Amino acid sequence: MTASNEYRFQVNLSGMIQILSNHLYSSPKVFLRELMQNATDAITARTEAEPGYQGEVRVELTGTGEQLTMMVEDNGIGLTEADIHEFLAMIGQSSKRGQQALLDGETSFIGRFGIGLLSCFMVSHEIVMLTQSAKGGPSMEWRGKPDGTYTIRQLDTQLSPGTKVYLRCTPDAAHYFEPDYVKEALFYYGALLPYPVTLHHDGAQHVVNSETPIWLMDPALARSRRSEVLAFGERLLGEQFQDFIPLTTASGRTGGIAFVLPHAVNLNAKRSHRVYLKRMLISEKAENILPEWAFFVKCLIWTDELQPTASREHFYENEKLEEVRSELGDALRKGLADMAESQTERLQKLIRLHALSMKALAVQDQAFYAMIHRWLPFESTRGHRELGELIDEGETLYFTSSVDEYRQIHHVASAQSMLVINGGYIYDSDLMATLPMTVQNVHTERLQPDQVSMSFTDVPPAERNQYYDALRLADSALQRFRCRAEVKGFKPSDLPVLFTLSQESSTLRALEKASEESTELFSSVLGSLSSNMSSAGYSTLYLNVSNPIIQRVLTSPDDQMTPIAIEMLYVNALMMGHYAMSKQELEVLNQGIVRFIDWGLRANTDRKGDA
Amino acid sequence: MKTEMDFEELMDEAYGLPNGPAKLGMLEEAARVADVNGMEEEAYEARSEIVETATFCGYPMKALIAFSWQLGKFDQQPEEYDEETLMWSYKWILGKMPDFPEISREKILELLEDFGRRFKSYGYSERSYWYYRFRIFMDFGELEEAGRSYDRFRTMDRDFMSDCEACEQDEIMRYFLLKGDDEKVLEVAQPILKGRMSCAEIPHLTLSEILMPLYRLGRTAEADKHQTKGYRLIKGQNDFVQSFAEQMDYLTRMNPAKGIDVLEETLVFATDHEDPYAKMLFYARAASLLRRWAEESPEYRLRLPASFPYEGDPGDLLKLADYFAEHAQTAAAKFDQRNGNRHVSSLIE
Repeated sequence: MTASNEYRFQVNLSGMIQILSNHLYSSPKVFLRELMQNATDAITARTEAEPGYQGEVRVELTGTGEQLTMMVEDNGIGLTEADIHEFLAMIGQSSKRGQQALLDGETSFIGRFGIGLLSCFMVSHEIVMLTQSAKGGPSMEWRGKPDGTYTIRQLDTQLSPGTKVYLRCTPDAAHYFEPDYVKEALFYYGALLPYPVTLHHDGAQHVVNSETPIWLMDPALARSRRSEVLAFGERLLGEQFQDFIPLTTASGRTGGIAFVLPHAVNLNAKRSHRVYLKRMLISEKAENILPEWAFFVKCLIWTDELQPTASREHFYENEKLEEVRSELGDALRKGLADMAESQTERLQKLIRLHALSMKALAVQDQAFYAMIHRWLPFESTRGHRELGELIDEGETLYFTSSVDEYRQIHHVASAQSMLVINGGYIYDSDLMATLPMTVQNVHTERLQPDQVSMSFTDVPPAERNQYYDALRLADSALQRFRCRAEVKGFKPSDLPVLFTLSQESSTLRALEKASEESTELFSSVLGSLSSNMSSAGYSTLYLNVSNPIIQRVLTSPDDQMTPIAIEMLYVNALMMGHYAMSKQELEVLNQGIVRFIDWGLRANTDRKGDA
Repeated sequence: MKTEMDFEELMDEAYGLPNGPAKLGMLEEAARVADVNGMEEEAYEARSEIVETATFCGYPMKALIAFSWQLGKFDQQPEEYDEETLMWSYKWILGKMPDFPEISREKILELLEDFGRRFKSYGYSERSYWYYRFRIFMDFGELEEAGRSYDRFRTMDRDFMSDCEACEQDEIMRYFLLKGDDEKVLEVAQPILKGRMSCAEIPHLTLSEILMPLYRLGRTAEADKHQTKGYRLIKGQNDFVQSFAEQMDYLTRMNPAKGIDVLEETLVFATDHEDPYAKMLFYARAASLLRRWAEESPEYRLRLPASFPYEGDPGDLLKLADYFAEHAQTAAAKFDQRNGNRHVSSLIE
């Protein structure tokens, strides 16, 4: 031993390691990523100094049990004694400037050597690093312990340039040292690295990343290598994809492959794209690198222009990221546009699976909407159809703005053969509203429930006059339900009445229903709210003159019978429309039924008496 | 054709949607299906979701209706349901009550007492009661009484039913804002601006609230930074109508062109908003902004959303400004009448 000196970090290292493992990194397994990043940085630095230099990373597993050791070696630039001090000191210095300073800061390297190395303490109680700088000087040995002490000494022998890191595994980290696991992890992190990563174990050696695909740096080439790209995607992302869209930004410094997910995805699903920074895996769950709407794809993305966060699992939300995100979004959009132009079947298939995503995008982007509108699915009175088919009917496309409104009117509307689209699902009414601006010669119109009556036939005034008494009786019977009667003719004629209510009367119904169930205090609070709107809150019960029963009700008014008949028709309409009924309405229903049974039986007995 | 989905399907679909009118519609449909089929527990579950969704996407009335129903059911069978979730919702409901001018001052205070009594009966800290009392009196414009509640709640222990620290801090900041103490506003805002306190709505709300205090103190460079960041956080979300109003208030003075962008992008949210207070502020600020913009660019035609009920010419900015101002003043008058002072009108003068 020549010169051996003991130094101490200027920070509480065990505390630091605690912070790293519990808060910064998602799992101890990232130590391997950190080591690979250090190696990649070292090789990058050497390649910059010696163009054409061929890098290499070797990982070796030796020993068993407590002796189980992993060695990670690169032939990169190596460290001089001064470098070592500088890198390690960085940790101490930055801690004085607060945690944020430690995590910020632009560097041309992925990792920050010192911190990356610390992550190894999550799996090993000792880290030994041997290094030889390509710039010359003696070979160095660094030994660090988790208590914060480390030693540095010059070695007697001269190593070849590069760095070797030895880790001896702790008992609870043993599974991170198993050969199969290590091989998998190395592929996972290093699949795109432009130099060989080899694993040596039990005398055997495997090149982990044997085939670096040619389309990596030029995603446009991917189109002609479909099966190769899909196979690579499956190996790396673990799903069987059937389609993909190549992505590039204008600068060419970010590119990737967007694999179309083979199954529908929830709109709230976490976006998890796999991103490689300088060809080294940085994140498998980058959420913010693509626009929100792009949840129908899982992407492999490589970039060398973004700044990773401290954990190196995400990117800093800054202008650069915003720019990259919007360019990647454009590329994706363009891919879809190309399909719309020349491969409509492919697009159709994609839209069927990811309609929601496509609609989200169409809402934001009119040009895109124009391109793909024909294939977007909607629920309508003609069934679940693609918009193109509905447009081809050449009619006005009516749409509701809520599921509730649609439910109220679709029976009657379809009997009138009106084409009504359920706009209650997310994006649908927006899309309907903007369709005429997007596509020529299409007319859409927002339909309010009380507007179905537009297509009803008016009853001429003279005829209406005949019904005057009956209508008055009806109105006074319905008064207490805040409903009024109106006579119209409509299809289907076997439908005696139709009940409709406006937004406001619907709110009132809800208020009253809640009021019945609630505490006294809350009922009176709801009461003050409803008193303010009751003037506008009338619903309408349309009596269908084309219906024979209604004809009889209207033409033979009777002070006793008409109100009861109208009330029964009213509650029946509520039931048919699946409205929740208030206590008062339920009572009407019960009493009415009993009364009608009574009358029926009595009429029967009277007849028998006659006979 | 299938038109009727069952309860589980509707709930599943609703859970898959982001907060917004579509999700709310789906939940209401689920509650209706449960009601019609006499499924009481399911009806209760759907309403829990309605309360949360409606509270945070501009439908406080729908939230109140659903909550009232829940509370009634709960009181009938308290052993059937979880009181913690319900009492947590009560805080949202209580916080929104003063925003409806139809609800009298007396009723609101009765609600506050009911709330306090229930919290006490479950052994929760009284901090929540005093904190909400503080907020309610601020809403009434009775700052002295609010101040007394402020002194009380600050000394009480937090518990798991307390609002988060960031939200409380934001309300404290509002107190000094109402008192006109801009220096103090910024002092109180510090922990939020520095990122030491945050939650789902903070700093979103805060960043818009401090724009005018900064403006009045002449610190517009800082304000500009907060404006940009703040708007990015709230853009496109109908929960933040009041914040849009605060953004416009500042931009009217500093950058009306950008203010017009904000107005055009957010008017659709304000139009459909159920909170009369937030809507009033929005309309008032829109009016001032339009008047300012009419000086700068008299030819401009404002892009109005299709659903906006204005029949006049969108190119006549001053007329449009009158329309907004009138709406705001009418609403403010209702608040003043309820509160028995001119507090709310003075905020939009």
